[in-house]
Amino acid sequence: MSTEAIAVEKPKRNYNVLFGLTLLALLVLLWILLSVATTSFASANNIANLLRQGSMIAIMAVGQTFVIITGGIDLSVGAVVGFATVVVAMMINAGFPIWLAILVTLLVGVAIGMFHGFGIVKMGLPPFIITLATLTSLRGIGLLMTNGNSININSDTFTAFSRNSFIGIPNLFWMVILVGIPAYVFLHHSRWGRYLFSVGSNAEASRLSGVNVQRTIYMAYTLSGLCAAFVGVLLAARIGIGNPTQAEGWELQAIASSVIGGTSLFGAVGSVHGPLLGAFILATINNGANLLNVNSFWQRIITGALIIIIVYFDGLRRRGK
Amino acid sequence: MTSTAQDLHPAPVLEPGRTILELRGLEKRYPGTHALKPVNLAFKSGEIHAIVGENGAGKSTLIKLLTGVMPRTSGEVIWEGQPAALATPHEAMALGINAVHQEVVLCRHLTVAANMFLGEENSRFGILQQRAMVKEAQKIIDDLGFDLPAHVTLGDLTIGQQQLIAAARATVRGTKFLIFDEPTAYLTRKEADQLFTLIRRLKGEGVTIIYISHRMEEVFELADRVSVLRDGTLVGTRNIAETNDAELVKMMINRSIEQVYHKEHFTPGAAIIEARNLSGKGFENVSMTVRAGEIVGLYGLIGAGRSEFVTTLYGRHRKSAGQILWEGKDVQVNSEHDAIKLGMALAPESRRDQGLCLNLPVGLNLNLPIYKRISKNLLISSAQEKTQADRQIADLRIKTPTRGALASSLSGGNQQKIVIGKWLAHGAKLFIFDEPTVGVDVGTKAEIYRLFGALLSKGAGIILISSYLPEVYELADTLHVFRRGKLVATHGFRAASHEDILTQALAEKQEKLGGQI
Repeated sequence: MSTEAIAVEKPKRNYNVLFGLTLLALLVLLWILLSVATTSFASANNIANLLRQGSMIAIMAVGQTFVIITGGIDLSVGAVVGFATVVVAMMINAGFPIWLAILVTLLVGVAIGMFHGFGIVKMGLPPFIITLATLTSLRGIGLLMTNGNSININSDTFTAFSRNSFIGIPNLFWMVILVGIPAYVFLHHSRWGRYLFSVGSNAEASRLSGVNVQRTIYMAYTLSGLCAAFVGVLLAARIGIGNPTQAEGWELQAIASSVIGGTSLFGAVGSVHGPLLGAFILATINNGANLLNVNSFWQRIITGALIIIIVYFDGLRRRGK
Repeated sequence: MTSTAQDLHPAPVLEPGRTILELRGLEKRYPGTHALKPVNLAFKSGEIHAIVGENGAGKSTLIKLLTGVMPRTSGEVIWEGQPAALATPHEAMALGINAVHQEVVLCRHLTVAANMFLGEENSRFGILQQRAMVKEAQKIIDDLGFDLPAHVTLGDLTIGQQQLIAAARATVRGTKFLIFDEPTAYLTRKEADQLFTLIRRLKGEGVTIIYISHRMEEVFELADRVSVLRDGTLVGTRNIAETNDAELVKMMINRSIEQVYHKEHFTPGAAIIEARNLSGKGFENVSMTVRAGEIVGLYGLIGAGRSEFVTTLYGRHRKSAGQILWEGKDVQVNSEHDAIKLGMALAPESRRDQGLCLNLPVGLNLNLPIYKRISKNLLISSAQEKTQADRQIADLRIKTPTRGALASSLSGGNQQKIVIGKWLAHGAKLFIFDEPTVGVDVGTKAEIYRLFGALLSKGAGIILISSYLPEVYELADTLHVFRRGKLVATHGFRAASHEDILTQALAEKQEKLGGQI
């Protein structure tokens, strides 16, 4: 039995790997096409720029994926990013040390995520509703705090971080690795990662099997809030200002990256590498369209079409098994 | 019926005994499995034809081919003398082939009447004639003698009652060929009787009935002929008068079981759990003790409070009064987590809704309760994860290509083995099995019962809930009878007659189930 089991298991593993490789191939193909079609794409400057663009959505998409695996959705992440830029900017300008400003901002993200968990678990609100509510109110709170103005951050050390590179790779991309590796271990090799999947598949069966479903849901939204707040810190460093209206629509880009990366909106299907690749595919399309002087309106249309095509083919293959 | 149904659709004019549907070399292959090997079989109009076989024998595949849910690989289907493609469910329905499934596939949020006429609504100028439809539906239901209201939301009915509505729905659509897939799995005896009356009436009107069931006595009660499937092969067809239980079981599993109800007696040890005057939602003032090495059976109608009682023991619901003693000590069980920590394990009633993560691998399902044990500081030992899962698969003889296969791809009996099997490695002291053999074939049943014996021999205690009297009767050392939330009688092993227990469970024989809604 067991030898047979090992022999037959390969196709399934292959499927996940294959899907990842297909996405990677798509990304490489896009890069090759753009290098041939434009002179500026392959320049070190542009690649660094592309990596910076993709990094922030990628980190958000990882947090979003945790939530989607439990069968939920987090629409607030874009607003959290904007709000976090305000918090970190105000604290730095008020003279707090940078590490403290960042720490407090991250904790704000955690608190927002906990609040989502509370709304879903204790108040029984649908994830869509509670996160939609924070999406609008966070923007409002941020605007109240800033009186609708942007805050210029007066610390060069802070803003320099996002421009600098370490051994030739932009710091922002290092942050993707910093988030991605623990996220991978967490999702695929830890108990709590397994529970995310089981809750997304059948919360009742998980509960009866002794899984703490409430804690699992709290955890997913907290991690999503934490990732978004972290991206807010990175964005503030990159643009040098705190502004609550920043990152408009990023939540949809994060969801799109996750879905392109093979996450199922029905829950219980997803990975960490998928959304990362998805985010960089989206970033490449935007970057390439700019270089090719394609009307920016088209970028949106292409992104939409890409979501439909990839999810359709992924669904076909899953069903085809 | 039937003035109403006949007004809707002219009654099928069929000569009884004429061949209505013939299968010639019907075959189905899936990638990797030969689900149905070429089958030749003819169904006559006005016959009740039972099909029996173990889980995975090919019964579901046969239904799916006949109802157009799946295309066949090869072979022919002759419908009333003409070849039929049966490529879509719509085509099958247009011919008059309908099915009533084990799990009700209707819209729970719509009313009974809306469900009855779903897809064929009565409308005037595009406006639904709601009142007329409710009236008509009520007439049909009353006529069938079901005693259920047509205006209530379907989801407010019990699963058994929903099943009756599904059956009623199938009869009003010019049906000539009606397939029942395990229809009594969730029915009480009374509901089952109502269904049988309906089935016999349809037969009288010349409708062909395919009746799939694991319950042999139903097959002998209803059917004219019976066909046996084993491993995708049609083993044989018998006239019901010329065969018996033992022959059919032997044909089904290709070995004779001396005793399906494998019962081992152990001397009961110390009390594991004791409920003292426990009350909660759906039951009141229940006292009982479960000791090591014994099976305590809970019998009663669906909705009698048995499931509510055990889920309260298990911390799913709060008790309103009374005490729970675990190994002699007063305990508070406020969550499933508390219960599992004490050493309880629950295999719930509904595999799909409560027991399994269907779209996740078999291995993950098996390991779900023990991830804490097989991980160190949150990180899972993947070696242990694999060996644990493979050991359970081998021990329980779960038929799966690999531990990585999705739980949804397994047959019902094998899924049930996962629901039970995940607790074995966990090492609980008290096992609660709620309807553990619903929709499970004889062979798997025997395996599950043998598993009970193994658990008892290790000093565990078992609470067994079943609506199937022979099961609790043959297995329980102590049998408690529930009626309307109260524990009304207690018997020793085989100490009372079937009739007495049934009477206690039903009380007033004329009690109207529908009246409770």
